[in-house]
Amino acid sequence: MTDGLDQVKAWIVKRHPDRDDIAPDLDLIENRLIDSLSFVEFVFLLEQVSGRSIDMDTLEVDSIRTLEAIDRTFFKARVS
Amino acid sequence: MPAHPAPSGPGWANLGMDIVSVKRVRRLLDEYGEGFFERMLTPGEIADCRNSTGLDVLSLCGRIAAKEAAFKTLRVRDRFLPWLDIVVRRSDGGWPLVHLRGGARRMAAASGITEVTVSISHDVDYAVAVAAPIITEPKGETP
Repeated sequence: MTDGLDQVKAWIVKRHPDRDDIAPDLDLIENRLIDSLSFVEFVFLLEQVSGRSIDMDTLEVDSIRTLEAIDRTFFKARVS
Repeated sequence: MPAHPAPSGPGWANLGMDIVSVKRVRRLLDEYGEGFFERMLTPGEIADCRNSTGLDVLSLCGRIAAKEAAFKTLRVRDRFLPWLDIVVRRSDGGWPLVHLRGGARRMAAASGITEVTVSISHDVDYAVAVAAPIITEPKGETP
């Protein structure tokens, strides 16, 4: 797991203290770990951590649906 | 693509409803400042939420709830709320008016929705909004 993804995971866990871990394939949206309001903040976080600008209008839901997808889209893609 | 069931004509309407916590929005305002809300609200909407002391958090909550409620009437899946394409402004009479544009207008059109009407209410800790779509009868199918 990348350092950036660790930060993303920590951010989610901090806002959902009922969870102490998040499985890489857990659907963050179906499980309400990210909703419309937190989505905006989440994109803000992803921009800060990944160093990339993110267009909310073109962002695919599946690209942030799971930690695996986030890692693939925002972190691993940079070094491949 | 609209998720089923989609509005199919007069007599059918998918309502949308949302509730927003003042605590959550106040934290965002405190942590990130007013600029954060520029991703969610147009300059005109932000102006509507402003009073003599700055941004009114309850008004922000109401506006955010109204956008989410309006979005829910569109019944689309796998799409994020197009925050800046669902514009909720205060009318001269004081009630909210929804203007759909860009992606939101296209999503609405796919469900036969031309407009969305919304009502907002708030009290100390929460704002709620309920929205209803206005569906235009398909041309040529009127008796």
